[in-house]
Amino acid sequence: MDAVLTLRDIRKAFPGVVAVDGVDLDLYPGEIHALVGENGAGKSTLSAIAFGELKPDEGSVTAHGTVGLVHQHFELIGRLRVWQNVLLGREPHRGWRIDEASARARVVAIAERNGLEIDPNAFVETLPIGVQQRVELLRELDRDPAVLLLDEPTAALAPAEIESFFATVVQLAARGTAIMIVTHKLQEVIAYATRVTVMRHGKVVERTLTSATSIPAIARAMVGGEVPAVAAREHADLTPCLHVKDLCAGSGATQLNDFFLDVRGGEIVGIAGVEGNGQSTLADALAGLIDYTGIIERRGTMGVIPQDRQREALVMDWSLVENTLLGRQHRKAACRGFQLDRVRARAETESIRERFDVRAANLDVAVRTLSGGNQQKLVVGRALIDTPEFVLAYNPTRGVDVGAAALVQSRLMEARNRGAAVLLISFELDEILTLADHVIVMYRGAVLGSFGRDAFDRAEIGRLMAGSA
Amino acid sequence: MNRYLRPLAGPLGAILLIVVLMSLAMIVAGTSPVDGFTALFVGALGGRNQLGETLVATTALLFPALGICLAFRAGLFNIGAEGQLLIGALCAGALGAVLTVPGPLGILFMLVAGAIGGGAWGAIAGWMKARFGANEIIATLMLNFVASAFALELVSGPLKGPLAAGAETAWLDPKYWLPALLPGTRLSIALLFAVALALLLQWVFARTVFGYDLRASGEAPEAARRSGINLGRLTWLALTLSGAIAGVGGATIVSGELHRFNTQLSPGYGFTAIAVALVGDLQPLWICLAAFGFGILESGGLAMQASAQVPKDAIHVIEGLIIFVLAARRYVATRVEGTLP
Repeated sequence: MDAVLTLRDIRKAFPGVVAVDGVDLDLYPGEIHALVGENGAGKSTLSAIAFGELKPDEGSVTAHGTVGLVHQHFELIGRLRVWQNVLLGREPHRGWRIDEASARARVVAIAERNGLEIDPNAFVETLPIGVQQRVELLRELDRDPAVLLLDEPTAALAPAEIESFFATVVQLAARGTAIMIVTHKLQEVIAYATRVTVMRHGKVVERTLTSATSIPAIARAMVGGEVPAVAAREHADLTPCLHVKDLCAGSGATQLNDFFLDVRGGEIVGIAGVEGNGQSTLADALAGLIDYTGIIERRGTMGVIPQDRQREALVMDWSLVENTLLGRQHRKAACRGFQLDRVRARAETESIRERFDVRAANLDVAVRTLSGGNQQKLVVGRALIDTPEFVLAYNPTRGVDVGAAALVQSRLMEARNRGAAVLLISFELDEILTLADHVIVMYRGAVLGSFGRDAFDRAEIGRLMAGSA
Repeated sequence: MNRYLRPLAGPLGAILLIVVLMSLAMIVAGTSPVDGFTALFVGALGGRNQLGETLVATTALLFPALGICLAFRAGLFNIGAEGQLLIGALCAGALGAVLTVPGPLGILFMLVAGAIGGGAWGAIAGWMKARFGANEIIATLMLNFVASAFALELVSGPLKGPLAAGAETAWLDPKYWLPALLPGTRLSIALLFAVALALLLQWVFARTVFGYDLRASGEAPEAARRSGINLGRLTWLALTLSGAIAGVGGATIVSGELHRFNTQLSPGYGFTAIAVALVGDLQPLWICLAAFGFGILESGGLAMQASAQVPKDAIHVIEGLIIFVLAARRYVATRVEGTLP
């Protein structure tokens, strides 16, 4: 069988870094090909080249048929209907007017052919994330792609949604579409992909059938050695720290209803839930950013790892040193007279860089030039540098590679071990099950279940996350 | 295409393009560029008087440009420096006309009155934005019209000088005139104040907590809010300070240059200052240079009109072109460098 997409000896350099260095890739009809690697290994660059978004410096790209791409961050217009989003720019028309009837029929037909259930008239903003992704997928399918690139497709999905998503993907592949998935989730690679390509430092370091490899083997190839283990859980004395009761805040789908929660020093409490069930409202209320009714009592200092590092946690054009001060600039210790203590800030940044292995050319480059994983490590390091008694960690390892994630998780565990109270809000159930002493399942702004570490039940937690009591 | 656009991304390319466009403007106006540029530079820098006038314009542009710079750094587009400057000048002129204190103290009072007047004018826009979410561009812009109508009303009536022919306040007592910097010209020590203020702002932005908060709010409002900055308060404060700086500028025109207030005292300094602030890349020290460059255009333009028959309006065309080129430069820069995924 001939490849539908062939990349030969691709090389692409950006100022100061060779992102992709002599990579070959063939995608065959019917295969599900996983592309994995650490942050900055060159996955995004390679998929942008495969999609035709970027031009390689050297090498050739040959595609037989169209190439579709589903972005990690959906590119949908919330106020338009499903069919309008799917056919955006390709609307069937009669003269000047859009032919709505045939547009809707066309969307229904593609959906049915691919076994995707969807209401073509629904407004996209009213749909759950998993269904929004179907819309994104339909939009690509309408162009009947020979190759479909999926960038971190399951990052925001609940376990049940992930299953149904892959059912669709497997079906597409069975009908002859070549599929490439860029992902961090190695379980999904093993479970659904047929082949896997591992990249490191811009080069392909391993390419094999998934039936011939294992999660640890892939992880070792990604890291180029053993994957560091998460720091051990040690005994810590429990002290009261955060008490939340009858908490109501926010509005709409993300409204909190009589939410309750206790986090003690020396433990990690994990909030398991699908994105959009009130986690952001909870985090904002705890951080004092929104109005609420009910009780929030907290002892001691707080360190926050916000959800969206680029928007909420960093000033992208500022240096590492200036960003290290953000959120801490009003403390007495940060200043000398009217001036910010730059010497001290620099020393703090240097210590974060060492402890968290932040890779940057130097401390004065803009954080924009850092890879996402390194930006995140800086944010986590900043949240922990003043040894806070309460840590609010919102998706602390989102979009971070295996090695960096283990490091971040270890630091959170160490904070717990020294007696800090850690509230971990994460969309990665595995992360919660690894770290938490106690799990609370959140659904539509309320507590739906609560599990101690000795009573963790993955299937039950997954079921509650989907809302079935 | 990038190969051809790339040189434009550099400052030298921009200057070259500006010179070419200016030459074109002069040719369209019917003058040879050589004559035009000669007249421009001789008129602006060719003697003590000319240099004095250039620096007078530089000073008048520098204050509002620094005020605009402060607001822009906080992410706020203050288009109202013209009105703030006018109200500052009005307050200084009205107070100066009735003062009976010793000279230096009187000058200080006038500058403070200018700051309060301009600051209050900025504060109105700041309050509207912080309280009601009004767009500060519209608010500050509209307040310009209110300011000029308000000033005209006052100096036509209650504040009109007893011997004044037009809409003017009474003459200041000479002891309230800012001392001359370049004897024999109209240049006062206000220039030194403006440069000192630029240095102060440079320090505030780079080193102080307030400057840090201000820049954070401008660059990443959501991150700033989460870092404990009260955005509403900062908006209000930034527009007030911005207006106050423009207002002091107005006061120095009254005390240092005209020696009374009249409604025609600003030929649009507050608007040209927007370009000055942007050309200076919102860096106070570069803004000093930019103000000098625009000062040359302002005062040299008059000379050019007289000796080379290039209409003064050509200067406004040129100022517009400069803004256009700089905006394009920024666009080209993102096009050339923005290819990283």
